[in-house]
Amino acid sequence: MTTTPSSERSDVTEAVPVPRTEPPVAAAKSHVAPVAARRSPAGFLMSLLQRYSLVALLIASVVAYGTWSRTSEVFLQAGVFQNITSSQSVLAVLTLGLLIPMISGNLDLSIGSTAGLASIGTAGLYADTGAPLVVGVLFGIAIGAVVGLVNGLVVTRFGIDSFIVTLGTASLILGIVNWYSGGTSIIQGIPQQVISFGGGKALGIPKLVYVLVIVALLVYYLLEQTPYGRNLHAIGSNKAASRLVGIRVERDTCLAFVLSGTFAGLAGVMVLAQQGAGNPQVGQSFTLTAIAAAFLGAASFKLGKLNVPGSLVAIFFLAVNITGLQFAGVQGWITDVFTGLSLVLAVAFAGILSRPKKHKQAQKPEAAHA
Amino acid sequence: MQSLAPVPSVTDSVLRVSELSKAYNGILALDGVDLDVRPGEVHALLGGNGSGKSTLIKVLAGVVEAEPGAVLQLGDEVTDLAGWNSDKAYAAGLRFVHQQPAVFADLSIAENIAFGTTFPKNRAGKIDWKALNARTADLLALFGVEASPTTPLGALRAADRTRIAIIRAVQDRDDATSGVLVLDEPTAALPAEEVEHLLDSLRRYAAAGQTILYVSHRLDEVLSVADRVTVLRDGRKVDTVAAKGLSEAALVELIVGRPLDRMFPEPTDAPAADVVLSVRGLRGGPLTDVTLDLHQGEVLGIAGLLGSGRSELLRMVFGAYPVDSGTITLGGRQVAFGSPSEAMAAGVAYVPEERQLDALFQGNSVRHNVSAGNARSYFSRLLFHHDAEKRDTQTAIQQFLIRVGTDTQAVETLSGGNAQKVVLARWLRRKPAVLLLDEPTQGVDIGARAEIYALVREATRNGTSVILVASDPEEMAHACDRVLVLRGGRIAADVRPPVTGDRLTALLAERSTA
Repeated sequence: MTTTPSSERSDVTEAVPVPRTEPPVAAAKSHVAPVAARRSPAGFLMSLLQRYSLVALLIASVVAYGTWSRTSEVFLQAGVFQNITSSQSVLAVLTLGLLIPMISGNLDLSIGSTAGLASIGTAGLYADTGAPLVVGVLFGIAIGAVVGLVNGLVVTRFGIDSFIVTLGTASLILGIVNWYSGGTSIIQGIPQQVISFGGGKALGIPKLVYVLVIVALLVYYLLEQTPYGRNLHAIGSNKAASRLVGIRVERDTCLAFVLSGTFAGLAGVMVLAQQGAGNPQVGQSFTLTAIAAAFLGAASFKLGKLNVPGSLVAIFFLAVNITGLQFAGVQGWITDVFTGLSLVLAVAFAGILSRPKKHKQAQKPEAAHA
Repeated sequence: MQSLAPVPSVTDSVLRVSELSKAYNGILALDGVDLDVRPGEVHALLGGNGSGKSTLIKVLAGVVEAEPGAVLQLGDEVTDLAGWNSDKAYAAGLRFVHQQPAVFADLSIAENIAFGTTFPKNRAGKIDWKALNARTADLLALFGVEASPTTPLGALRAADRTRIAIIRAVQDRDDATSGVLVLDEPTAALPAEEVEHLLDSLRRYAAAGQTILYVSHRLDEVLSVADRVTVLRDGRKVDTVAAKGLSEAALVELIVGRPLDRMFPEPTDAPAADVVLSVRGLRGGPLTDVTLDLHQGEVLGIAGLLGSGRSELLRMVFGAYPVDSGTITLGGRQVAFGSPSEAMAAGVAYVPEERQLDALFQGNSVRHNVSAGNARSYFSRLLFHHDAEKRDTQTAIQQFLIRVGTDTQAVETLSGGNAQKVVLARWLRRKPAVLLLDEPTQGVDIGARAEIYALVREATRNGTSVILVASDPEEMAHACDRVLVLRGGRIAADVRPPVTGDRLTALLAERSTA
């Protein structure tokens, strides 16, 4: 089949001019007459609304509970905000760590139980050996890193779906925790500095929040400001193409699990500091909430993409509302109901809002084929 | 080809669109286009990427809404295009088969066809397989597909799969005379050998009095199957002409708006003698013993049929396919790349055949796609220099003639030709010593094709040497300085200038006699 014209080339002395000055493109451009401004004010407002709707909802929630007669009295006390930020910092660290493998297209379902293992393991180390403060903290973080390494190696070496691998390790770790602790908390031998850090404040802000801020900056930097983060985005988009532009997919993916495990280990140490005890029950419940928060966060800031500020806003949006509703007298079940409902609604809402835009993109002249 | 239907009068049209415009984000994709399709004809719609063909089809399908003022006339019925939707299009007898038809490889032919209407059921509501298979067998016979209704679709060759998609679209229309079958590049995914089988079916279908609107990039196909041709360029109608007596050259001129003989750059006079890359006794996959030399500044073509190992050869050089034995020498040093990153470090670049699967990062911006794999060069002293990356991307957009609004636009919004230029920019920016190109113009219109080869030629002047794989012999003949024919796992012929498409076609066909 001939697709290209079979002209004689001998009679042509002039090759196609150097592309830089090629006229057809310029000519073509002059044809495409703009009939409206590229971005109308209404469209700009719409995109603002989409990006920051969750932030607006967070602020609105704070205002609502602050003025609602049933909650305003309790809600406006400084202690409430300290409480919320402090209690959510553990979940937030887990969520931010989870973003790393998620952006590369993998899921880590083991973060919750890894945090639990790090928590009980560190408590046990303090109780059994009286290890120095720093050694315990590093031990907890190292536990997480090792779990992450195992996850990463199994996923990349054997090419097994991360969902299945980490579902398995999550259950495995849970079993180890229960075996090790016998199901009871470890309350003795935890250094006083650890406990006072977990409950302490500096400049009126809980100390755990400082840890969260540092982690958030680190993860943001890693994902958005380093070549490694760029590679993770590429792997998440197209693994085969990543390999063919020289990205070491296996190594980078494995490292993503090591990092999520490491942050889970840190979160475990934070739980220990917060509760003053190694609690075998802590952990698993974090996993699903963290995944929900990550997806909820993808509905703001960078629409449709997992991102650090979005995840943080999502976590605090959930926490403020759950706390507020509990102050208003709603029972404990509201936690799960509200989390589930907002996730489904937010994702659906983001989908509806972004549909016209997506539609336009998909239908752009000659898009995808032609 | 002449239709067997009675010659229609001039005013008689089965589908007529007038004053059709469509703007996206303020850019006119269609600008007052008229189209007039007569009953029983095969009407080809031609144009480069971004000419508006796909938009026109989408408007007809009711997927995209036209700007107010357009009028659609179907037979004698005049409809306002406002409020036109896919249900109305279906009711009016418009049937669409897209480039990659939605067929289910694991299901049987009968099931695939039944999805277009309904499954016949017995009184208990159970699917009546007997009736379904009988109906399917009739349809298959009508369209000349030699297969049983229960065969899984995946077992068919590509041309037959496309035929099944067409059958599914038109199954209820065998005696209707209104309506139009719209085919959007039905042959784009077909190997050249199978195109003719499909065209045969279309000719027969049109001869039975049906009307076809045919969108394609392949000009020879259009000339062999169409009665009339409408050409679009930059959203405007250039002309509607009779296909009979039209030459490819004249068509190209209509499409790109400039004469044909300037389409492809001249091969360089004499490649320098220095050998940049040499391959000795390469064995692996379908290759048994490949030996070749690539000279400095040369565009070396590798011609071979599907499955000849032409793609694997490129991948082996790039470290992306296992090599059993043999040596590769690059710039005088023997190399054995274990991974693409090692090959890249040595100055090898590779544009894969499957753009969507192996080269593009969907959901990522043009900027991130251009600098994919190269992010490290923008990172220094712990900072990512987004501004430098942006500058470089904008330079690349200009240099590589990528038609795009901003560099933050998602890459999936680009047309095939522009997306390919993004991939090309990614590699050519690195100024590679060796550039491996696998089907670089697949799904790319003729204008962008010429630009791509001009860019490749430009790169050779700057010291890059190129190995090119393309399945179209004419294209190879135009773009390459020298062509090696790959057959039976080894280099069967070394075609030196003058390389012509006919010679290559003959050499490739020798397979059957050898």
